Amino acid sequence: MVDQKKLVEVAKETLARKDVKYIIGYKKGSYGFQTSAAFAYTPKDVEQFIFTPLCNKNLAKYPLKEEKLPLKRGEEEDKRKIGIVVKGCDSRAITQIIQENGMNREEVVLLGIPCPGVINQKEIEKRFPNQSEITEINEINDEYVFTIEGKEHKIPKQELLAEVCKTCDYPNPVLYDVMIGEEVEVNPKEEYEGIKELEEASLEDRWEYWEEQFQSCIRCYACREACPLCYCSTCMADLLEPQWIRRSVNLSENTAWNIMRAFHLAGRCINCGACENACPMDIPLMELNKKLGKEVKEMFEYTPGLDIDAKPLLGSFNPDDPEEFIK
Amino acid sequence: MRIGVYVCECGKNISATVDTEKVAEYAKSLPNVASSRVYKYMCADPGQEIIKKDIEELKLDKVIVAACSPRMHEPTFRAVIEDKGLNPYTLEIVNIREQVSWVHDDKKKGTKKAKSLVKSSVMRSALMEPLDRKRVGVTHKALVIGAGIAGIQAALDIAGSGYQVTLVEKSSSIGGKMAQLDKTFPTLDCSACILSPKMVEVGRNPNITLIANAEVEQVDGYVGNFKVKIKKRPRYVIEDKCTMCDDCVPVCPVIVHDEYNENLSPRKAIYIAFPQAIPASYIIDPDDCLGIDPLICSKCKDVCGPEAIDFDMKPEIIEDEFGAIVVATGFETYPIENLGEYGAGNIPDVITGLEFERLISPGGPSTGDLRRPSDGKLIKNVVFIHCAGSRDPAKHLPYCSKICCMYSTKQALMFKNEVRDGTAVNFYIDIRTGGKDYEEFYQRAAEEAKVVYIRGKVSELIQDGAEILVKGVNTLTAETVELHADVVVLATGIIPSQGTKDIASVLRLSLGINGFIKEAHPKLKPVETSITGVFVAGCATGPKDIPETVSQAGRAAVRACNIIAQDEIEVEATIAHVDEILCRGCGICVGTCPYSAITLIDTKRFGNIYKVASVNEALCKGCGSCAAACLNSAINQFGFEDKQILAMIQALGEE
Repeated sequence: MVDQKKLVEVAKETLARKDVKYIIGYKKGSYGFQTSAAFAYTPKDVEQFIFTPLCNKNLAKYPLKEEKLPLKRGEEEDKRKIGIVVKGCDSRAITQIIQENGMNREEVVLLGIPCPGVINQKEIEKRFPNQSEITEINEINDEYVFTIEGKEHKIPKQELLAEVCKTCDYPNPVLYDVMIGEEVEVNPKEEYEGIKELEEASLEDRWEYWEEQFQSCIRCYACREACPLCYCSTCMADLLEPQWIRRSVNLSENTAWNIMRAFHLAGRCINCGACENACPMDIPLMELNKKLGKEVKEMFEYTPGLDIDAKPLLGSFNPDDPEEFIK
Repeated sequence: MRIGVYVCECGKNISATVDTEKVAEYAKSLPNVASSRVYKYMCADPGQEIIKKDIEELKLDKVIVAACSPRMHEPTFRAVIEDKGLNPYTLEIVNIREQVSWVHDDKKKGTKKAKSLVKSSVMRSALMEPLDRKRVGVTHKALVIGAGIAGIQAALDIAGSGYQVTLVEKSSSIGGKMAQLDKTFPTLDCSACILSPKMVEVGRNPNITLIANAEVEQVDGYVGNFKVKIKKRPRYVIEDKCTMCDDCVPVCPVIVHDEYNENLSPRKAIYIAFPQAIPASYIIDPDDCLGIDPLICSKCKDVCGPEAIDFDMKPEIIEDEFGAIVVATGFETYPIENLGEYGAGNIPDVITGLEFERLISPGGPSTGDLRRPSDGKLIKNVVFIHCAGSRDPAKHLPYCSKICCMYSTKQALMFKNEVRDGTAVNFYIDIRTGGKDYEEFYQRAAEEAKVVYIRGKVSELIQDGAEILVKGVNTLTAETVELHADVVVLATGIIPSQGTKDIASVLRLSLGINGFIKEAHPKLKPVETSITGVFVAGCATGPKDIPETVSQAGRAAVRACNIIAQDEIEVEATIAHVDEILCRGCGICVGTCPYSAITLIDTKRFGNIYKVASVNEALCKGCGSCAAACLNSAINQFGFEDKQILAMIQALGEE
C-alpha cells in the first residue's frame, strides 16, 4: 500500500505551490466502512489525507462540480489549479474529461497513486451489516486486516476486492504530475468474462433480466451523480422541453433512463464502477457499461481515457471507416 | 392551427397498395386537421391548385403532402405553399410511396402504415416553425482540380462563358491520361491532334490561370465562398525563361524511368513530360536530381543559356477564393501487380493496355516500331485479355470499366494496320460496344481487319522459350485453345486515382462502394456532389469514355457558372443551432461535423468564461450529425427539432 506519510508530504508540497488552489483527497468517513472526499486548503487539512483499500470513490467527479460564483466587476477568475489524488481509474476519468474538453490539463495537478485495488463497499457492508464505528482497513500480504469490537479480522483480498478491480488493466495512473510510490504490477485479465453469461443468453431472457433490474430502480440518479463522466450542466433526463424521460418511476421510464445513461457512456466509460457502487438498489450497471465498452473496443479499436490528445470516439468522423459491422 | 392533408394516389403507384380514401378520412380525425383530400397526381397542376385553393379558402397554416420521397417533390410543394404566402419550411412530406406502397404488397397493412405515418407527421407539423433562408455573396471565380481532358474542357467552357477559372494540375503538364494515348476510338483520330489544341488554348486563354505541379491542400468555406490553399511544388526551372532548347538534357547524368512512357523508356532528371506539354517548360525531378540540396551537380544550370534553372525554388502556398469547384481528378488503371494469375510480374511481356498504347505510339519508347519490352523483338502475335481484373467480385473489381472492350479493339486494329501479317487475338467475356459508332468499329476490326475474337477466359500463361503460351477455352465451341504470343496485353479496368481519393477527403465528398465520388443523383444530378457548389466530371465518378467525359465536363462547367454568375445565393435553412445554456463545451459536435461548420467559442456568464459550440450558418449543411452526437441535446437542427421528432415517435408508438 501507499505510504501515507509520503502522500501527506507530497500533498503539502503541492499545496505550497502558488498556482494550486486546493487539493482533493480522501479522509476517514463518518461511519463504518465509508471514506469521504477531503478538500485541503491548508497544510493542516492535508494532515487528514489517507489512502486505504476503502478509498473506492472516484475523485475526478469533484473539479467539475465546483460552482463558478458570479464575479464582481473587475474581479478576475481564480485560475489556480486543483490538485487531485488519483488512482488508475480516476486518472483515466480525468484523461477522458480532458479529451472531451471538459477541462484543460493545466487546470489540474494530479497526485498519482498506484492502486492495488479497492474494496467492494457493498460486499463488506453485507458481511458486517451493523458496523457503524469508523473502521480502518489495511492490506497486508493479500489479506485485508481490520479490527471490529476488539476482534481482529483477516479476509483474503480476492473475497472483498471490487469487481472492476479484479479485471483492471490500468491500476497505475495513466496521467499524473507526481507519482507516489512504486508502480504496481499489471496482470492481463479476461476483462469481459463477467458479461459472458449474459451475452450468451437469449434476447427474451436478457430482456426479462433487465426488466427485473430496472423495475427496482428508484431513479435517485445516484449513478449519475457518482459518475465522473456524467458532467453535463443540465442532464437530458432533467429537460422539460422536450421531456425525454417522464418523472414517474415505472418500468418504462426507468428503462428509458438506464438505457440512456448506458448509451451516453458508450466509448467514454473508464470502468471505475462508481455508478454501481453508488446504486442503492444494487442494479448491476457495470454489466451494461462493460458490454458497450467491449463493442466499442472491438468495432473501433478504441479504449477511452488513455490519451488526452486522442479524439473522443463519438466525436470523430472517419471517411475511411470500413463499417464492417453495419449489416 | 389549421392543417391541410393531401394524399396522392400517384396513379396506381400508391393507390394499389394503400387505400388513400381511408387514409384521408383518418387524417380528418387527427388534431388540427382542417381539410384532407385525395387526388390522382398531387404534383400535377390540378393537384397543386387544390392545395392553393384550400390555403386561401380554409385559411390553412400548415400543409402535409402524403406522396413520394421529399427528395422528389419537396421543392415543388414548397413552391406551391410559398406562392400562397405560407413559409416553405412549414411543409411536411409523408413518403407513402417509397416507404409504403413500393415496399409492401398487403393493402390492409399498407393502409395502416400510411395512416401511422400521416399521424406522426400531423403531430410534427403542429410543432413546425417558419424558417428563413439566408443569403450569402458569391466569388465570381471557379476552381477546376485536375487537368486531364475533363478538367481542360470544364476550364475552357467556364472561361468561354467569360468567368475567371483556375486550373490546378498535380503533374508537370496538363493533358492527363488522354495525352498518353496514341489514337482514340471509334474514329482512330490521333489523340494528340485533338487534345493539343485544347491544351494550347488553356495556356493562352486570359481567363484561365494554370497552376501545374500543384495540389489542393485545403478547402474551407461553402458554396459561393470556398477558401482554397494550393501547394505549388517547385519546378526548379523558370517557366517564362525556358526556351525548350533541350541543351540541359544531354548533360544531365541522372537516368530514371519515364512515367509518360509507362516506365518503358528512360528519361533524365531534367525533362519535359512530352513534347506538347503545357506549361511549355522543362522541369527538374527533385527526388533524383543531384543539384538540389546538396548541390553536387549543376551541369544543366551551367549549359542553360537563358539562365532558367533555379535550384533554390521553394514550395509556394497559393491562397485564393472561389465560388464553385469542379473536381476532375480522373482515374488510374487497375494495378497489373494484382494479376499474378496472368503472369504479371513473372512474364516480362505481359503488359497493360496503356503500355501497349505507348509501344505502338510513334512518340513512344520504340518510336512506333512495336518492339516488345523483354528483348526488343518485333511483335508479330499479340493476345488481348479482356476484363483482366474486372467483373470479378470474388478477387478483383466487381464492375465493368466500359472502355476496355473498345480500347483493346482499337489497339488490335492499330496493330493490324501496322503489322499486316501479324495476328491479334482477343479473349473476351462479352463485347460491350455501347456508344455511337462503337458496334460498327468492332465489326470493322473483326471482319475487315481480321482481328480474332474468342469468347472465353484465359486459364494460364506460361513462358515458353521466347514466346508466351496462352491456354484458354472457347466457350462458344467448348474447345480448349492453346496459342503462342509475343506479348499479352491485359485490358485492365479503371479505378479511382489517388488524386480522387485525396481530394474527396480534402473536400469531404462521399465516395461510393468502389471508391469513386458519389453523384448527388446517378441519373438526374450526375455532376453534382453531396456538397453544394462542388461538381465532378469525368472518371472521378466512375469509368467513362472520352465523349462522355467531355459532355460531363460541359455540364459541370454550366453548373459551376450557374453559381458564379449570381451575386448572391440562398443557403439551406434547416441548419443546426446551439442552446448555449445547455452546451457544456465538450466539442463532440465539432469532431462529428463533416463540414467543419462548428467551432468552440468563449462566452461570458457573470464574469466567468465558458466554452460553447457555435455553428457557422453558411457552412452547415443540416446533416444533423451534431444533433445526434450531443449528449444533452444542446444542439438541435431547425426543421428537425428534438420536440418534433419526439412527437413523431410518440405518435408512432401509440398505434
